[in-house]
Amino acid sequence: MFKISYFMEILPIIGSKVNVTFELTIVSTIFALLVGVVVAIISYYKVGGFYQLTRVYVSIMRGTPIVAQLYFFYYGLALYSAMIRNMTPLIAVSVVMSLNMGAFMSESIRGALLSVDEGQKEAAYSLGMTNFQLITRIIIPQAVRVALPPIFNDVINLIKTTSLAFMLGVPDIMGAAKIEGAKTFRYFEIYAAVMLIYWVIIFVLGILHKLLEKKCASMY
Amino acid sequence: MGTETPMVKVEHLYKEFDTETKVLKDINLTVNKNEVIAILGPSGTGKSTLLRCLNYLTVPTKGIIEIGGLRVDAEKHTKKEVIELRKHSSMVFQGYNLFKNKTALENVMEALIQVQKKPKAEAEKISLDLLKRVGMLERKDFYPSKLSGGQQQRVGIARALAVNPNVLLFDEPTSALDPELVGEVLNTIKSLAEEGTTMLLVTHEIGFAREVATRVLFMDGGRIAADGTPEEIIDHPENERVRQFLNFIKK
Ligand SMILES: Nc1ncnc2c1ncn2[C@@H]1O[C@H](COP(=O)(O)OP(=O)(O)O)[C@@H](O)[C@H]1O
Ligand SMILES: [Mg+2]
Repeated sequence: MFKISYFMEILPIIGSKVNVTFELTIVSTIFALLVGVVVAIISYYKVGGFYQLTRVYVSIMRGTPIVAQLYFFYYGLALYSAMIRNMTPLIAVSVVMSLNMGAFMSESIRGALLSVDEGQKEAAYSLGMTNFQLITRIIIPQAVRVALPPIFNDVINLIKTTSLAFMLGVPDIMGAAKIEGAKTFRYFEIYAAVMLIYWVIIFVLGILHKLLEKKCASMY
Repeated sequence: MGTETPMVKVEHLYKEFDTETKVLKDINLTVNKNEVIAILGPSGTGKSTLLRCLNYLTVPTKGIIEIGGLRVDAEKHTKKEVIELRKHSSMVFQGYNLFKNKTALENVMEALIQVQKKPKAEAEKISLDLLKRVGMLERKDFYPSKLSGGQQQRVGIARALAVNPNVLLFDEPTSALDPELVGEVLNTIKSLAEEGTTMLLVTHEIGFAREVATRVLFMDGGRIAADGTPEEIIDHPENERVRQFLNFIKK
């Protein structure tokens, strides 16, 4: 039977690990954004040579499960790289999640850049504006508005994805649950607590996402 | 009219998109100050391409474009020359092409501040005057998405006027508009014509061309097939192709 008292006891223990989840999410988001912007710009301008490379990268990252990517990186590539072997699990997971999310974000950003129509660019050129002025004054302000909601959505997905980090031994929410489970075998309460914690976080962010979407849609 | 100051000179202009698509074939044209030139012709004959070559939105294959004294040779043009050339003209587009993230006023101010480096207060004053002239002052703080097509196009005209161009280029400025909105835009263009603004106007509005143009060009197959006064070209066309075209349009 579901034991409320045990559930209440375990909830704060597992909940105290959200900081690991947030840490992973924030660090990965920052690097994913960097990767995403660079890849998106290469794709947008079809930069010779690099363009094909980024297409392959995006395709692999989006076309394979992240668990496989984590294992490939941490157990596979590590065989040939001392740098990877010396990484803490937290850093290794951050690297993989950044690369994975970067691929998704690059597509959101690329789509946003492409959403600025040719006509506005021609108008800018026809007035004697430079490429730099066009990009900073017209394209980026419009692209940000288009890209923000899907990127925020990518971040929400990232939070759920970080729950895989425990597989490499990162002591996050799932890691704490595993440890508690090994002690008491009360998986029912333990994973109910895990789900409740994620659900609350995602629920709150989901509301923020709606607000952000509304704000972006009504900006102009 | 009186003085004949050439504002635009086009010499031996060619445009080929590829060896199969030769769109402009040896275009020669001089536009004097205060001239209002209507360009007529069937679609696909290179009218848009000609206008777009004037500001290098389409890069000509060869030939010389001179606007306001600045000569650019297609075969050896530089990026810098192109930007300079563009500062001498401005364009009104079929699809308005207003900057969506800027209000009507900001659209008009943009080039004054960014390109001409005018102080903000001065740019704003010029822009407000222009918005008033096109009857859009009340909507100065509206974003394009909140304006009708006709209103957007009038802002587009104000934006093009703001840079005080040597020549104003119109590419079918009313073709995308609902019929009931065409009038307000044509009236705006007409008032510019009356004030002596030098203009090149691609249009299918024959009646309007007849009324406001000081000169009419008929383009056919990438060449200027007829060039004359509105009376000559529209009322008493001698060229068989012009007659066919006018008959076709009237239907
Ligand atoms: N970017 C382009 N690439 C290839 N062909 C083009 C391009 N732009 C225009 N053309 C071709 O050039 C010809 C003239 O086009 P255009 O100048 O738009 O004619 P008009 O404005 O008189 O209708 C058309 O056959 C069109 O298909
Ligand atoms: Mg055209």
